[in-house]
Amino acid sequence: MKTVESVPHNYLIKQLPKATALVDTKYSVVEASNSWLSIFDLEPKDTRGNNKNIFGFYDNHEEFSAKTLKECFLENCKHVIRHKKKNKENEKWFESVFVPWFDEKENIIGTIVQTEDITHIIEKELELERTKTLLKATSEVSSVGSWEYDIATEKLNWCEVTKQIHQVPDDFEPKINQGIEFYKQGYSRNKISMLFHKALEEGTPYSERLIIITHKGEEKWVTAGGKAIRKNGKIVKLFGTFQDINDQVLAEIKTKESEQLLTTLIDNLPINVFIKDKDSRKILVNKAECEYLGTKPEDLVGKTDFDLYDEKVAQISRDEDLEVMRTLKPMIGRETINIKKDGSATNFLTSKIPLLDIKGKAYGLIGMSMDITHIKQKEDQLQDLINVTAIQNKKLINFAHIVSHNLRSHTANFSMLLEFLIKEKEEKEKKRIMKMLSHASDNLLDTLENLNEVVDISTNVNLDKKSLNLNENILKVQQNLAGFLVKNKVKFINSVPDNVAVMSVPAYLESIILNLITNAVKYSKPEENAVVALNAKKQDKSVVLSVSDKGLGIDLNRYGGKIFGMYKTFHNNKDARGLGLYIIKNQVEAMGGNITVSSEVDKGSTFNVYFNEED
Amino acid sequence: MKKINSIYIIDDDPITIFGIKKMLKTTVICKDIKAFENGKAALEGLTKRIHKGASIPEVIFLDINMPIMDGWEFLQEFVNMDVKEKIIINVITSSIDPLDYQKWNDFRLKSPHYLNFKNKPIYKIEASDLNRVNIAS
Repeated sequence: MKTVESVPHNYLIKQLPKATALVDTKYSVVEASNSWLSIFDLEPKDTRGNNKNIFGFYDNHEEFSAKTLKECFLENCKHVIRHKKKNKENEKWFESVFVPWFDEKENIIGTIVQTEDITHIIEKELELERTKTLLKATSEVSSVGSWEYDIATEKLNWCEVTKQIHQVPDDFEPKINQGIEFYKQGYSRNKISMLFHKALEEGTPYSERLIIITHKGEEKWVTAGGKAIRKNGKIVKLFGTFQDINDQVLAEIKTKESEQLLTTLIDNLPINVFIKDKDSRKILVNKAECEYLGTKPEDLVGKTDFDLYDEKVAQISRDEDLEVMRTLKPMIGRETINIKKDGSATNFLTSKIPLLDIKGKAYGLIGMSMDITHIKQKEDQLQDLINVTAIQNKKLINFAHIVSHNLRSHTANFSMLLEFLIKEKEEKEKKRIMKMLSHASDNLLDTLENLNEVVDISTNVNLDKKSLNLNENILKVQQNLAGFLVKNKVKFINSVPDNVAVMSVPAYLESIILNLITNAVKYSKPEENAVVALNAKKQDKSVVLSVSDKGLGIDLNRYGGKIFGMYKTFHNNKDARGLGLYIIKNQVEAMGGNITVSSEVDKGSTFNVYFNEED
Repeated sequence: MKKINSIYIIDDDPITIFGIKKMLKTTVICKDIKAFENGKAALEGLTKRIHKGASIPEVIFLDINMPIMDGWEFLQEFVNMDVKEKIIINVITSSIDPLDYQKWNDFRLKSPHYLNFKNKPIYKIEASDLNRVNIAS
């Protein structure tokens, strides 16, 4: 090779900006640019490079086989290899391109090698790879797939996850129509067609929950999202996400169903249910509670008992609430009374259960109230009945004792007298005993008559009460007793107004007036003329007839409990039978009234008869 | 026949009084048998008797159901009188009310006297109705 000729070539090649080397057919480096030499760690002046075997340059480089390198020189075509060189601190990637070297006559005289530092490209490639992997992983983990539609090529691209969601094979290549047809016929398909079209035409983004039918025929809930990508203001692509939300939606549906079930249950319970917050404000009410308060739920929420009920009742309820929230102990089945602002009262069986937060502190309570008003009323009626029955029973026992005692005393006499009669031999004494027997028999008859009278009153259930003018009846009795009153020189003072009427059985009214007048006369002071005063007045739901005398009076401390008893007499009076007061008490009570007495010894007595005017 | 100084019969029923008197005739010698128609009358008789300085009757036949003052009221007054002698009191009644028997038992326990309970009819006066000592011995 001539030196003169080679210098300009040499010089030219040396200055090439792209790292280039010329290798002859014997694999010796003939010429190399400075940049090429520097890649292989040689100074430009370093002549060691000249005529050196090309393979020696690659000794420090990795990631390629010697065989591959050799092949690059064998065939007369373009070869590319990548190789890496490691330094202490870093590593560098290179790409060497081998092309045949021709002379003017197109004979191959060697190989031109061009080497480029591609470290930054490799880094970018790795970065891209990492990003792709990350994207895939993210997409797989979150079940969010993606798709891309190129408007120009009409090519639709699904990512792996999108394919998995559709349950299609990995090599499936969807067309845009197919994509749409995966959506369930009806709402879902119509909706997606419309949204896709709008995105395509107007670039409107969308995100919608829809149902697809997968390749395997399963129904699935998905969230389909789409967005237009513009280039120079023109929509060129649509990009979107595709997410499997089936489990989520099913869970949501289930939750909604449970909620619905609970609401239906609470609403239709035949008891009032309410939830109150810490300040006893209602935060939830059911239908029964609303109906009871005659309003809508939205009008009740936020209200306290003080807004709805009588203040006293509301305070009791508030105290209960505070107690339940303080002690955290439920109040179960307490009988309560609610009085609304309009005054109507309702009996409830109320339970209050504290509502606890995560820390175990009460933040409110659940209340349940059952209307037991009708049960309560029944209970009261029952109690009344029990009371009446108890009184009746007591009366009956009392009467039974009276009967047994009175009958027994007579029969005992018969028995004793007959025993005497059998043993008696003397005729005179026999006659005396016989006389006594007949007397005893009369007494028994009298007693039976008296008892009959009492039984009549007690058993007469269907009393025929009439409105009777009181004064007319007093006058009638007065006329009947005319002889008796004159004989006893009675001073009769009747102050009963003419218009007073009482509800009474006619015979009973006569009996009551008669007995009270004769009693007053009988127990007058022997040395004084009898005074009988009658008066009457209306009082609440009854008419009171008062009969007063200025007679002997009765020691009520001593005899108060017995005064209306049978056969009780308290004075030495031959006419006293001890029956009159017992009978009229029975008559008055049988008509739903009552009789009282006030008296003072030596001053006189006043009997008050209360006629029941109600029923 | 046993001798007794004084006997009181307190009953509002003349037939019972007649019967007791008749039965006493055959069982006891007693010149002083007095009958009262209620507790109040008997109590007044008794007070007069004490005033006169005469002895308290040894035996009393006492009915329960009487007007004005019944047997129980009389018994209460009598117990309150604080009589030194122990008297035999025969409570006689036609009542079969267990309450009456209970009341009698209460009086028997709190009274210093000897109390008997006899249900009518009575056919015979027993020795124990007149003499406590025999039973006690």
